[in-house]
Amino acid sequence: MIPRRFVNWILVWTPLVWVLLELLTYPKDVPLSRGLVAVVRGFFSPSVAAYPAWALLAAAVAAAAAGAVGLVRKSKARTFALVLLGISIVFAAWAFLAGGGASGWSAGANDIGYSWLLQTAAVALGAVALWFWAKGNPERAELATWNTHQVWRLYRANWQGMVGLGILVVFVLMALLAPFLADHALLDPNAQLTDASGQLLGPFHPPSLAYSNWFGTDQVGQSVLAQFIWSARISLMVGLLAALMSTLLGAGVGIAAGFYGGWRGESWMRLTDFFLVLPWLPLAMILAGLLGPSYGSIILVIGLTSWPGTARVVRSDTLRVRELQFIERARAIGSTNGHIMARHVLPNVMPLIFANLVLVVAIAILSETTLSFLGLGDALNFSWGTMLHYAWVAGAAGLPAWWYLLPPGIAIVLVVLAFTFIGTAYDEVLDPKLRKREHSTGESRFSARAEPPAAGVADALAGGDGAGGL
Amino acid sequence: MDKRRYFVRKLLNAVLTIILVASFNFALFRILPGDPARLLLPKGKQPAGAVEKQRKVFNLDKPRWQQFVLYWGDTVRGEFGMSFSERRPVTEVVAERIWPTVILVGTGTLFATVIGMITGVFAGWRRNGVFDVATTNSGMVFYAMPTFWFGLLMIMLFATRLGWFPTGRLEEAGAGLPLFGPIPTSWESFTSLARHLFLPAFTFAIAYVGEYHLIMRSSITGVMKEDFALTARAKGLSENAVLWRHVVPNAMLPTVTIVMMNIGFVMSGAILDETVFNWPGLGLLAYEAMQKRDYPVMQAVFLIASIAVIAANLIADIMYYYLDPRVQA
Repeated sequence: MIPRRFVNWILVWTPLVWVLLELLTYPKDVPLSRGLVAVVRGFFSPSVAAYPAWALLAAAVAAAAAGAVGLVRKSKARTFALVLLGISIVFAAWAFLAGGGASGWSAGANDIGYSWLLQTAAVALGAVALWFWAKGNPERAELATWNTHQVWRLYRANWQGMVGLGILVVFVLMALLAPFLADHALLDPNAQLTDASGQLLGPFHPPSLAYSNWFGTDQVGQSVLAQFIWSARISLMVGLLAALMSTLLGAGVGIAAGFYGGWRGESWMRLTDFFLVLPWLPLAMILAGLLGPSYGSIILVIGLTSWPGTARVVRSDTLRVRELQFIERARAIGSTNGHIMARHVLPNVMPLIFANLVLVVAIAILSETTLSFLGLGDALNFSWGTMLHYAWVAGAAGLPAWWYLLPPGIAIVLVVLAFTFIGTAYDEVLDPKLRKREHSTGESRFSARAEPPAAGVADALAGGDGAGGL
Repeated sequence: MDKRRYFVRKLLNAVLTIILVASFNFALFRILPGDPARLLLPKGKQPAGAVEKQRKVFNLDKPRWQQFVLYWGDTVRGEFGMSFSERRPVTEVVAERIWPTVILVGTGTLFATVIGMITGVFAGWRRNGVFDVATTNSGMVFYAMPTFWFGLLMIMLFATRLGWFPTGRLEEAGAGLPLFGPIPTSWESFTSLARHLFLPAFTFAIAYVGEYHLIMRSSITGVMKEDFALTARAKGLSENAVLWRHVVPNAMLPTVTIVMMNIGFVMSGAILDETVFNWPGLGLLAYEAMQKRDYPVMQAVFLIASIAVIAANLIADIMYYYLDPRVQA
């Protein structure tokens, strides 16, 4: 029997994921001002769901492999494996349609009609797969439901965690709804703001009540508000991807360093210590300079320079897990090292990795801002750091054009604070030692209110080489 | 552990790391795609034979192992080649930029440490009090803030709007301040230096003050739970005596080490701070070098920054030995 709460999840999250994906890939040139019909048509336009063809192919291969493994092992969730194979067929078809054209596999997708349909099929099949997984593994579904419920119950009691989540939701919504909030055409290099009579507002016009001029104009007379809204996409995306890369590297090295004793573990640790010593900003500037300015190289550079903090945290937790008894038992029945690491160690350090990931996102967003501010970002796609770069180069501080400097900076501070709050709150949920006694009385909840996330931050700072934009 | 063995081991470790960093520096420009000789030249069209000449200058025409040996010879002698944006030896260019950075970073760190630790002590002592909530939350905001953005706001408010501080470069002050001389010689040059220094040093301090505050605070809270603090209170010492005689000295330990280790990483902060305030130190040099793709200078700055980190770690280890008796046991 599938737990009822699990069923509810599937029913709630599937449409939500669908909407989020459609919004993420909504065409940039169809703003709300064109009318509702154009907006609805925009959802089904060819460019929606235009992912790079190689990413789709990779998804197809991964799904096919997972399905094949399930079938070969004759696992209980047989239908689940079959559905996975079905998903892989959808992805493969999509990839061949997108990659078969002139632009090729690596250049990104061709605009193909009905790719929104393929995306919908993939999401729906994903929900079906989840359903059959839960049906095949009812006790694991039960456990997942219960764990999530517990974590959420504890998390909800954390005042700062909820504030962080609230701030984050606002900014994520702003990023996703960007096409409806600000016309992307306003970012065109020739698009200058005009007032009601068609007169150009000109450079550094202070804010006024007209919507696109809420945040004034920049050094060439463009709307700062439009830049601000569209920047949210790049800033959040680059921060997230860089943090993912950094966490993958750090978790891999950390588990290897903690799991293997002797010279192997020691040499992984030495490597970590070595990278911890390298001063990140000079190194990042050299690397980004050599790779050429783009957000891709920023992601790569942040990922390559910021993983040692994660590695240390993960290592110390792996050392704890390694000594647990079931590891010895697994070894006794002849499990290989790789198997133990993947199936026993990883799931046990996973919550910590996740909490750390959230904290690393905060650091990665600060780092992205820093590198973009130094002019290493993409000059045409704005991020908040790029905006500050232009503001600085144009001398906004000397005018003073406060409307150009304040919005991106405040957004960065809020988003970084939000991720820090969320990460520390989740940390406290995981580690009872950090947690105040659970809401026994109203009084203790009141005192917990002022409980700042200092411990987690201090740990992150002490372990993480201060790789923020400090 | 035996004192001599402890020091020798730490020292050897530091030397080994420096050797590794320098080798990494060598490898960095050779493992990346592209011709290093071209990378080491300015962007754009080069006169005929320039690439070949560059190859000769950097020994890139020789086999790798010979390059490696020659690179080490140059590094040990302190030769990093010619800066091609300034047409002078890199050593010379770098040397004249060190002193301004030392002044800036030293003043900033002093501010940050003193302010952060004092507020941390009071916040930890009266945890969840008004002062604690106010300072700790501001500390969080300072931690989340991009340094350079705060610097721009400072310029906007105090230099542009209020006109209290100059925005220009140090040498433009015309007060006869010796840019790379050791100490200001006259009262005028001293006040000019102070006026120019205040905003960048303040910005630099703000970047770190939140961190030191949080560390000191959690350290104080931890120590206050120890038995000896309870004993001190039980034998009737005044609150002040308990705090300053018993709790603070013990809480200093982790904070001092972290401050020390942080000092090594100041280069990252210095690059941003000096770039925004046009402060003619190593950080601004790094930024200019990056813009002009002056890789010999960047390599030298990277090496100096790495050595600073390693040296700071070493000093932290040595201080730890004297501060924490458990290491000696």
